[in-house]
Amino acid sequence: MRMPRRALAAAVVALVLPLSACGSGGDDSGSTDASGKVEGDITFQTWNLRANFKPYFEGLVADFEKKYPGTNVKWVDQPAEGYADKISADAAGGTLPDVVNVSPDLVAPLAKAGLALDLDKAAAKYKEEYLPGAWASHEIPGTEGTYAFPWYLNTGPLFYNKSLFKEAGLDASKPPKTYDELFDNALELADKSDGKVATLANVPTIEDFGRYGVELMNKEGTAFAFNDAKGVQLLSKYKELYDAKALDSQALTATPESSGKKFLTGAVAMNPGSALDLGNFKKQAPNLYKNIGITDQITSTGKVNMYVMGVMVNAQTKQKPAAVAFAHFVTDAQNQMSFAKKVAIFPSTAGSLDDPYFTEEDGTDETRVRIAAAKSLKNAVNYTPVLFSEQMKTELRNSVAKALQGKVSPKEALDNAVKACDRLLQQQG
Amino acid sequence: MASPSSTTAARVRRQLPTSPWLFAAPGLLVVGIFILYPFVSTVVNAFTDRRTLIPGEFVGLANFRELLHDEMFWIGLRNSTLYVLGVVPALVLLPLLLALLVQRNIPGIAFFRSAFYTPVVASIVVVGLIWVWLLDERGLVNSLLETVGVGRIGFLSDQWLLLLSAMTVTVWKGLGYYMIIYLAALANVPRELHEAAAVDGAGAVRRFLTVTVPAVRSTMVLVGALSSVAAFKVFSEVYLMAGPGGGPAGEDTTLVMLVQRTGTGLTGRVGYASAISVVVFVVTVALMLLVLRADRKEDT
Amino acid sequence: MSVTEKVREVPAGAEAPRRAGRRRTRVTDEHGKRVRVWELALRYVLLLAVLALTVGPFLWQLSTSLKGPTEDIFSSPPKFLPGEPTLHNYDRVAQTIPVWDYAFNSLKVATANVVLNCVGAALAGYALARLRYRGRKVATLVFILAMLVPVEGIIIAQFTTMRELGLNNTLIGVVLPGCIGAMNVLLMRNAFLNLPYEIEEAAFVDGANTWQRFLRIALPSVKGTLAVVAIFAFMGAWDDFLWPLIVLSDPDKFTLTIGLNYLHGTFANDERLVAAGTIIAVAPLIALFACLQRYFFRGVGEGAVKG
Repeated sequence: MRMPRRALAAAVVALVLPLSACGSGGDDSGSTDASGKVEGDITFQTWNLRANFKPYFEGLVADFEKKYPGTNVKWVDQPAEGYADKISADAAGGTLPDVVNVSPDLVAPLAKAGLALDLDKAAAKYKEEYLPGAWASHEIPGTEGTYAFPWYLNTGPLFYNKSLFKEAGLDASKPPKTYDELFDNALELADKSDGKVATLANVPTIEDFGRYGVELMNKEGTAFAFNDAKGVQLLSKYKELYDAKALDSQALTATPESSGKKFLTGAVAMNPGSALDLGNFKKQAPNLYKNIGITDQITSTGKVNMYVMGVMVNAQTKQKPAAVAFAHFVTDAQNQMSFAKKVAIFPSTAGSLDDPYFTEEDGTDETRVRIAAAKSLKNAVNYTPVLFSEQMKTELRNSVAKALQGKVSPKEALDNAVKACDRLLQQQG
Repeated sequence: MASPSSTTAARVRRQLPTSPWLFAAPGLLVVGIFILYPFVSTVVNAFTDRRTLIPGEFVGLANFRELLHDEMFWIGLRNSTLYVLGVVPALVLLPLLLALLVQRNIPGIAFFRSAFYTPVVASIVVVGLIWVWLLDERGLVNSLLETVGVGRIGFLSDQWLLLLSAMTVTVWKGLGYYMIIYLAALANVPRELHEAAAVDGAGAVRRFLTVTVPAVRSTMVLVGALSSVAAFKVFSEVYLMAGPGGGPAGEDTTLVMLVQRTGTGLTGRVGYASAISVVVFVVTVALMLLVLRADRKEDT
Repeated sequence: MSVTEKVREVPAGAEAPRRAGRRRTRVTDEHGKRVRVWELALRYVLLLAVLALTVGPFLWQLSTSLKGPTEDIFSSPPKFLPGEPTLHNYDRVAQTIPVWDYAFNSLKVATANVVLNCVGAALAGYALARLRYRGRKVATLVFILAMLVPVEGIIIAQFTTMRELGLNNTLIGVVLPGCIGAMNVLLMRNAFLNLPYEIEEAAFVDGANTWQRFLRIALPSVKGTLAVVAIFAFMGAWDDFLWPLIVLSDPDKFTLTIGLNYLHGTFANDERLVAAGTIIAVAPLIALFACLQRYFFRGVGEGAVKG
């Protein structure tokens, strides 16, 4: 078939003529006033919670509608995968639900685009109900305000495979407590097993740098700083592990799922996790479960890392009072507590962690892990900066990989990563 | 058989003067509204600094200039090109052989045909999971290699082996797909041709080259064109095997992975990603022209 | 066939194939054509080899889905056969998510996609291949360009268009963008191009109009390709994940691929459940293909010139 020039020209014209396809969610809000009567129809979107917690959320919605007659809450739930894509399309298309379950990295760009309601203005009276650290995790550097109610928290211990420790001649009852011990044990494990057993399955992420005590950003939150001496030290250590095969050879391409699987199959000796994983081990890998060792998360700062889920209110919602009231209702102490009892997560409301459920041992491993986690959460930190986007994670990861492969020095790698991330930060606007 | 006289032709032409456009209209409408029109906005965006949630400003050729200095872009271009070179010959030839293998009605063939199609219908995510499991450091393939004394191979840790593994998956998954296209074409090859050749004493290989290949040549061109476009736009296989970051230090990133990585999510640089999309589009257009031109040259 | 025949066949088969005409065998295919034993054996060996390659990986998935709750599915080296096979995991999938509702939504979307693609692609393909009119080349070019558009970059723009049409959060919105695939149009065009002109010329003379020629003569001759378009369309709609996810908000309207994604728990992943979900998703497609596959072959001989 031939393509005559005339046809090509016609096609080009047809392609270029309608230049009007740009568009974005307009800002028609401005008001952050959430006072007024709580009424009307709102939509509430959660992230992959329907399959296991349908009755809980249906009950929650019913309770709210009963408490505020005249409200009608429609609950929708999105699956695990593609959540950021879904929110992006809705945000760009102006179809974001009124109340949305978000993680801090999702809140930041939405807040900057004016799509998330500033709760310091609209819901300041509720601030005292939450753990200060949890409330602060939805503050966005470069903006004034807090853009989501903190919801459930999670953290967890470090799991290790006792039989692998024993095989390498290590004392399985004395797991590493500090980074130095961790690195020494890892090298020994690799050495004794001829490089067949790695101790770690993941390259260091931004969160690891934070836990190691590296300053991640400058005080103003305008530039990254993880290329300091401490950062270089951590990366150099990892390079040593990688060369000795104490860091799994597939670590450069690992995902949290793949490294989890490596731990389940006994290919790596340690893996970070949470109370939830215990049940998982029991079901999926009973042999591993018999040999599971549990130890505290290793930090140089004394503060463990935590994950925070939030509930934000769409700044453009037509039913501001109802949306704010519902977002608060979902995250209030009573409802968080009953959710925490359904699955091993932790409430972000002040005082909830003092509940006997989080303080009294009953002899099971699950409870032991839960109590330890609850205790550590009181001063836990979400190390990952809220401004650290997916694109930045990739930059850091690729730079780290280059250092581990020996293509560049650790210092050079981190300098490059900081430069790239700073640039992305500026481009984010 | 009578050939159409000029009067018949005239009569036909008079009958339904608008019908060709009516025939093509639904397709043109759908493709125009839902594919080409959105792509126009991509082309426009390529000249702006638009981000997912921030409307862009016109920046001229800045995005394209940035591409030239973006190491990742060149890695992506290299990998996408390698993918075409690696995958297309296999996908033009192997499915044809497979089609010939299952063409004849021998007992149980329906079962084999359906079985060979399984990889096509399975979702790529599942396929990726399965192959990662097979090629893992401790997976089945490496266990076998170790037993026969070859030793373990880092299929999923070396950047080139990763690319090769992903290509294998693409070919594996594409076999059944293109086999179907070939089967439809083979159905039109008159059996008499084969029989005549067989009587003439042509062996299987010669019959393949002198009867089958010429008969399905236009289909081979079609498969070549379709598979090279698909190969250049490869995403899922590499994404699933090499991870979202595109392999060690991103060395396995393909162009479409780069589009996805830079352009999606709430912090996506839509403008920059659109510029890469435009490049992908231009290259595939060129690829298509190349294949079609090669086809025409052979014709004459 | 008897042993003696086989024995007689072996030396004959080892000789040059030019003696094919004198071969005596009882094994024939359905057209009555003789099939040599060694050739048959070779075919089966090859078929089984390819079978192992294509189906093997799925058997592992099937096996995982049948493993009981106390079995170690991550043992190393891996165990292939379930120790205590059970269908319980399938039951649990249905308990965890409304899998039948999702499957029904998928079925609606996939069926619509098949019908629209077959009709639309056949019409457009015929126009591109057979009809003489001005602008035919431009029309062909439009479809080729559409096929080349990298869809990963346009999904948000597609969503915006859909919202402007008021079709977001509807199954119609899920179907529309792919309902006449450019590639299917080009496949149909290719099929029509390969039809000898003589067939239609006869109808020309008989005074049949375009519509009649298309419907009565051209279309029946390309059944094979139509079946290809049908299976591709079904598969495309059935397996698609990102687009339906973005268009749909309401979980009641979710399709099976989105629904099955719920099996990847927020807090814990159950491999057995995921494996069972995978099998549920693939089984209908394999069944559909098994039903349709004879159409790809029925064309043998039938596609040739009738007149």
